[in-house]
Amino acid sequence: MSPMNRRSFLVGSVLFAGGAALAGCTSDPLNKNAGAASGAKVTLQQWYHAYGESGTQQAVQRYAQEFTKAHPDIAINVSWIAGDYETKLNSAMLTAQAPDLFELGDFRYQNVKNGLLAPLDDVIAPAKADFSPAALDTVTVDGKIYGVKMIDDVMMLYYRKSALQAAGVQPPQTFAELLEATRKLNTGKQKGLYVGTDGVGEAATLLLWSSGADFFDSSGKKVAFASPEAVAAIAGLKQLHDTGGLLQGYPTDWSDPGAFANGATAMQWGGLWSLPDIKKALGDDFGVVAWPKFGDAGKQVARVGGWYQLANAKSAHPDAVKQFIDWLWIKNADLQKDWCVKYGFHIPARKPVAAQTTEFSSGPAKDAVTISQQNGKSYSGLWNKASATLFLQAATKIANGQADPAAELGDAAKKAQAEVDKQLA
Amino acid sequence: MTAVLEAPPVTVAPEKRRRRRDWRAIGAFAVLTGPVVIGLGLFKYVAIAWSFLLSFNDARGTITLGHWIGFDNYAFLLGDDAFLTSLATIALFTVVIVPITFVASLGLAVLINSIKRGKAFFRTIFLIPAAVSYVVAALVWKMALFNGLPSGVANVLGGLFGADPVPWLSETSPPVYWVAVVTLRLWLQVGLYMILFLAGLQAISPSLYEAGELDGTTKWQAFRYITLPQLRNTSVAVLLLILIAAFQAFDEFYNLFGTGLSGTATAPVKPPLVYLYDSALGDQNYGVGSAGSFLLTVLIVVITLLQGRFVGFGKKD
Repeated sequence: MSPMNRRSFLVGSVLFAGGAALAGCTSDPLNKNAGAASGAKVTLQQWYHAYGESGTQQAVQRYAQEFTKAHPDIAINVSWIAGDYETKLNSAMLTAQAPDLFELGDFRYQNVKNGLLAPLDDVIAPAKADFSPAALDTVTVDGKIYGVKMIDDVMMLYYRKSALQAAGVQPPQTFAELLEATRKLNTGKQKGLYVGTDGVGEAATLLLWSSGADFFDSSGKKVAFASPEAVAAIAGLKQLHDTGGLLQGYPTDWSDPGAFANGATAMQWGGLWSLPDIKKALGDDFGVVAWPKFGDAGKQVARVGGWYQLANAKSAHPDAVKQFIDWLWIKNADLQKDWCVKYGFHIPARKPVAAQTTEFSSGPAKDAVTISQQNGKSYSGLWNKASATLFLQAATKIANGQADPAAELGDAAKKAQAEVDKQLA
Repeated sequence: MTAVLEAPPVTVAPEKRRRRRDWRAIGAFAVLTGPVVIGLGLFKYVAIAWSFLLSFNDARGTITLGHWIGFDNYAFLLGDDAFLTSLATIALFTVVIVPITFVASLGLAVLINSIKRGKAFFRTIFLIPAAVSYVVAALVWKMALFNGLPSGVANVLGGLFGADPVPWLSETSPPVYWVAVVTLRLWLQVGLYMILFLAGLQAISPSLYEAGELDGTTKWQAFRYITLPQLRNTSVAVLLLILIAAFQAFDEFYNLFGTGLSGTATAPVKPPLVYLYDSALGDQNYGVGSAGSFLLTVLIVVITLLQGRFVGFGKKD
């Protein structure tokens, strides 16, 4: 190589930097100009949390493109948000970069109170009868409906048939049976039960619900997770830990089927969405039950979550947002079915669509639908992240035997009540 | 400089000359510092001032002012055991991590400085981890080294000594999660401080050691009476840096103990910054989050001043 003088080096650098800048402009890594390129007048920003199943991200992008094909004036730019979705969404909502429309798992009353959500009554009105009363009640505030339920997700206990048979235990129906099964199924290499990498996951909530208690009393406004029966049930977490059969510190959390599918545990709390992956890994060697009941007054429970499509009250294009939600989540049964059964499994929120899907007609998938109908329970809209953090902190201390359950939960309930009162004020 | 060169002859009235020169200098000053000052002002000082005002407001789900509540947020924090525990946690963490990091990096620097061959090789080996991000390192620690599976690296090592597999990051009796937290920070930081010490060591004049040898000092005496005193300025600077870094700990706690689904609610320990992140961004309580960051700032300033008093930072020899 011939020696380079200062001038040629400088010219070379400028050309290189200029080229890089140009390349940066044309490749448009964030795809912000997707709308402009296709000639759309309006580009809507839409947020999804990162679904774990393969093909999901491509699917929502395909839905967006199909919509633009049918409505050339409106383009949709999909953002796929990994990690702590709700925290990222909450902070983005206070800025100019807020999405025009987004999904949210647990509906929060405080979002309505803070004026973040646009009512969607006119979108949902013609199809109101398609949705379950619960899916409408949860998002109804002062007579207005603020969300369209996209999918129902039921969470339940997966168990490995062969492992239970080998250990001589039945799928647990009561908490005592769950403790026994967790102990007996532990072979060292394969643990008995997995509820989450932190050893708590949703187990504290499930213990509470399965004892017949709840976060709120019958008025729906008084925090009640420190009642004597609730304290007794949540103290059960310590007993679960003491069995020695609880798997902790697995690299993926309970919402991922990894621990169960790879044989690290014989039972796992998980979601219906994981069912196709589990079937692929284990064939027919698994079944599902609801979370066992705690005590005599208790009942078996399963959590019914799912995702709501919500609209930003401050969006510059409210009509386009409504048009898209109507097109995708009300009218387009084919795409709703595609979303519910082609990747992970979700129960379509609209009854006519659910009736068309054949995937839930047999086996564990059918059991899951039955469980969601008979044992399903959801969070109240008043239950927010602040109260949940207080509750989970107390539950973690109880699980680790670091605190007296009654005192710890009493303290947490008092603080959670203050949070709830602030929301209602 | 051009302003001086182009200055008119002395015959012009002194006031006028001074004023003209001043305007040009002020103009240049404004052009050169303006962007930085505006940037700093807008993105730092306005934000800090806004946050200070927010700390006296009930700001839930909003960052606009308007709901003045006086010192309620401060009172709430000082009465909240979770916040006070987080302060105790960070104090304990600092007390443990500062001396260990200091001794480890000084020890490594002395060792590397004393070997004859491969100095550059070892220096590079130990410095490389400093270039790794906390997030990446925390994920490696969480998923590969300290996971709860019998096949996790830490559990395999423990198994060689007959120990049962432990869920390293959630086991609280004994609190073994500290092993993961402390080793992670050491691995990331020791190399950098080692470099600072190496620079200090190389600045010590060999003639001091030669004089010592003539007087028959042992190796320990040479270290104690020549190396350590000569490294005093480096030591004080390194100590201060480690201390501030320890107080600002966030990344490894957030990433080691966060679950993604419930954030860090089930973490066995929370330093103040994680607590404040949860209050402000998780719970959307920006008033409490702001108040907490000012309490923490006051604390860091007080401790730094105290430390300066004890070890005499900036004092002349």
